[in-house]
Amino acid sequence: MEYQNPKIPEGINVSQEHPLKDFFIMLLGAGLIIAGLIFTLTLLAGSLVRYVPFELEQQLAASLEQELVETETVKPGRHQQYLQNLADRLVIAQQLPEAMKITVHYMDGDEVNAFATLGGHIFVYRGLLEKMPNENALAMVLAHEIAHIKHRDPLVATGRGLTVGLALMSLAGIADSALAQQVISQVSLLTTLGFSREMERAADNEALLTLKQHYGHTLAADTVFQIFNDLEDGQGLPAFLSTHPQSTDRIEVIDHFQHRHGSHQGTLTPLPSWFNEP
Amino acid sequence: MDEYLIIRNYIVIFHEVKYKIHEGVDTVILTNIEAVPGKKIVQHLGMVQGNTVRSKHAGKDILAGIKNIFGGELTGYTELLTEAREEAVARMSQQAEAIGANAVINIRFSTSSVAAGAAELFAYGTAVVLE
Amino acid sequence: MFNLIIFLSLLILGYVFGRMAESRHFKSILNREEQLRDILTFNERTLPPGYEQASGELVGGNVVISIDYFKQISAGLRNLFGGRVSAYETLIERARREAILRMKQEARLKGASKIINVRLETASISKGGQDQIGSVEVYAYGTALIPTP
Repeated sequence: MEYQNPKIPEGINVSQEHPLKDFFIMLLGAGLIIAGLIFTLTLLAGSLVRYVPFELEQQLAASLEQELVETETVKPGRHQQYLQNLADRLVIAQQLPEAMKITVHYMDGDEVNAFATLGGHIFVYRGLLEKMPNENALAMVLAHEIAHIKHRDPLVATGRGLTVGLALMSLAGIADSALAQQVISQVSLLTTLGFSREMERAADNEALLTLKQHYGHTLAADTVFQIFNDLEDGQGLPAFLSTHPQSTDRIEVIDHFQHRHGSHQGTLTPLPSWFNEP
Repeated sequence: MDEYLIIRNYIVIFHEVKYKIHEGVDTVILTNIEAVPGKKIVQHLGMVQGNTVRSKHAGKDILAGIKNIFGGELTGYTELLTEAREEAVARMSQQAEAIGANAVINIRFSTSSVAAGAAELFAYGTAVVLE
Repeated sequence: MFNLIIFLSLLILGYVFGRMAESRHFKSILNREEQLRDILTFNERTLPPGYEQASGELVGGNVVISIDYFKQISAGLRNLFGGRVSAYETLIERARREAILRMKQEARLKGASKIINVRLETASISKGGQDQIGSVEVYAYGTALIPTP
């Protein structure tokens, strides 16, 4: 009997494929599957959510409203009165369904921002109002936010957030390790951002139609985006990483709209003289 | 009858593709005792080993998770471990063949745990040349 | 955005350093395997002829090898699709061969020329769960036969 240990050739117990090649193929596959899943889910959630009656949305928002409205920054007063008034006129021009009630809140903050939330609440910051040269520019902002409420965007966004959150949680349970948290959340973020930009574009369009209806022209509609553009100063995120379309693109869309509808003739409505006083 | 034959052929082809790795190594005799009954060992060529890590796709993992609530056999994972063990054995046999052995005796299995949801198996034994 | 940058840099760091460590380890394994080639390993219990008078002693070697971040992500992705987890295969291969080498090294120090009844065992520190570091632990042990002079 003979005893020996011959040399065993290499490579029997390991795959010869390059790890990077394998990795990128899988990454692409996983990305596509997750994007597809999130896309279908959000689409489904978005279309179902529109059937939720507005009263229910208001009830949902009731607790949220308490929280937001009772913060110190919200200031009732003549600014708030004026904004509410303007909003009410725009609501008529935009032909909102009877049930939808818009409430505008004036926030005493420096941010150049305005947003719409559940239950028909619109919040406008002092920082934004201070930059408004005339009523038309302000009307564009309000009309845009009212359009969001008309399209049920706050509710849709919440619904999507919930669905996607649930889907991600179940997916993360399957694929262990940091992978799930990373790849899945990045892909879903990009997908939902795409949806968000789509909403903004639709709201912009609706707002332009409203202005045309109310004032007969859409002059100064692009003022707010010019302001945003100046603020960003080329420092903005690339379009696909952002919740809103780029300001320059939005200005272009407005220009295009004005040419198509011939709505670049008219007179601007000034803001009341006390407007920029505290 | 013809249809039945066609289906059978498909199954055979599928099987061959799935276990392609076994091709050409089924000539190696495998035992887990220290001899091959009825054969005389003429050369001991030392240890040969096969290892593999395999996992099932997410769908099977979900099914297994559901099954876990009710209890019972997790067929998906049974399959996974069977495949992993077969592959480890196949790789070990391949090593044995490569060094000129025609049998592997005293085979042992061992499992390790790196990742959840994956099976890591190794098989090892002593490669021998039979008369 | 910030998370993405951290993630990508960890991934690249994991890949570059993991690859470097792996190829260095494989080189060293091949090198030492060549040096310890004269110590023969078998896993039968029977004594080879001529060793009836030899003294036997237990020898063993263990090693714990951790995976890098890139492999972890890659294996996680593979878990979605199923199939052979090639990222972990090299890991196991390294651990197994390293443990055997360390066992042989011990046998060399004892003056043995053969090791019989070799067994491989995996000890477990972490099970590779959700938030744990994935690692593989192998312990190789056997009886070293030391020829009596």
